[in-house]
This record gives sequence, C-alpha cells and structure tokens, in this order.
Amino acid sequence: MDCNDCVVRLYAFLDLELDEKELAAVRAHLSGCDDCGDQLGFERRFLDRLRDCCTSDIAPTQLRERVILKIRGAGPPIT
Amino acid sequence: MASDEFETEALRYLDALYRTALRMTRSEADAEDLVQETYIRAFRFRDQFTLGTNMKAWLFRILTNTFINTYRRKVAQPEVTDLEGVDESSLYRRMADERAASSSPDPEAELLSRVVDSEVTDALEELPEKFRTAVLLDVEGFSYKEIAEMLGIPIGTVMSRLHRGRKFLQKRLYDLARERGIAAVRSPEKG
Repeated sequence: MDCNDCVVRLYAFLDLELDEKELAAVRAHLSGCDDCGDQLGFERRFLDRLRDCCTSDIAPTQLRERVILKIRGAGPPIT
Repeated sequence: MASDEFETEALRYLDALYRTALRMTRSEADAEDLVQETYIRAFRFRDQFTLGTNMKAWLFRILTNTFINTYRRKVAQPEVTDLEGVDESSLYRRMADERAASSSPDPEAELLSRVVDSEVTDALEELPEKFRTAVLLDVEGFSYKEIAEMLGIPIGTVMSRLHRGRKFLQKRLYDLARERGIAAVRSPEKG
C-alpha cells in the first residue's frame, strides 16, 4: 500500500469501517510512514473537534415537557 | 414494550435528537417542532419498533425522514446540492505545503485550537443539506450502513458525502483562520 492508497482510506480507518484485510494493510503502512501518521493525527483531531462541538447542546426543558405531554396523549399504537 | 418503558427509553435520546434537528433545520423553533413530530410518530408507530434493536437508530430514522419530507419542502430556494468547486485536497496537505514558512511548530493543531466552537457549527450549517445530514448522523455515532439505510442511499454515497462534507468544513475553517492570519502564513513569493 502506498501513501495515496492509505490517505484515501484514512476516514474509513478512523470511522472503524475498514474490513480486516484493509485494516491490516493501512496499519502496516502507517507503522512505517510518518507523513501518513501525521495526517491521520490531524484528521482524528478534526473529527474529535467536530464531534465535541456538535454534541454539547441539550434540549430545552420545556421541549422535554411538551414531548412528554404529547406522547402521553398519543393514544394506542397504530399497528 | 410497555408504554412507560418505551417513553423512558425514547426520551434518553431527546438531547441527541434535538441538537441534530437544530443543525438540520438551522432554527430553534423548527428543531423543536421536528423533535416533537418525531416523538409523536415514534409513539404512534411504537409497535413497529423491534425489541432488542437500536432505539437510537430507529428514532433517528424517523427524525431524518420527517425532516426530509416536511422541512425540505419548506425551503423556498433549492439549495446548492453539490460541492462542485470545493477543493478536494486535504487541508492537511495544503498546510503541509506552507509549514516550512510557518512560525508555528504545529500549524494544524493551532488552527483547530484557534477556531471557536460556534465557528465550527456555523461552518457545518453552511454545508448543503445532503452533506450536512450525513455528517450529522456520523457525529451521532451511526455506521455507514446505518446512515445509508436512514437516507436510502448506497454506502459508497455515504462515504463520498462524508468525505466531501468534511473537506468543505476544513476549507471553511482554514479560510477563516487565514483571514485572521492565525494559520500558517505563507511568506511573500520571492523573485
């Protein structure tokens, strides 16, 4: 696996979506390539930052109350 | 599942559904409506939920479908639906080209530490809807396969939307940082 093959798989690697064969090939490449390792580190920090920024909001209290009222008044399920 | 049990389990995902709805609709009022509608539908069709399967994924599927069917129609102007013209190359590669000219030992880390959270979420909200939706579902921890099923698109399309959406976000953040001169600054071309 060369650097180009590795770089196009970095997101799938970070997203834990590579199959075993590809995972092994990417790991083998990363173990000997600082450039791809550095890029992996950057992409990982970017995705962590994005996740942190997006997952900090909480629902307003009155929304929780309204939802509870609505679902308790929803009646029997439709099957 | 008894209805109080269902209620307790479903409400565990209220915050996750709300914050996703907020970024989907880009409006607090619409996000609240979307979340309420999602719960009403979920409760109405609760017998269709299979015990032992992923409740979060099931709720997000309802949220996503409701958003696509209801809120997408409300958009008066069709959004730009692709990202033609967005540089596909990685921010990392671009910055690597400039690293030699930078005074910072680690300009990539510096960029991510100097943009504030609201700039990251603003950049996300600027993403065309289909890219934004894929990125949001990924942020909530769903697999490519789950996202593909929720959106009714092939896994390859999920991967491509995530890739392009992330590159777009990186470019926005990079441009923002450069405007302020806090990213790696290229020295004037010589001779």
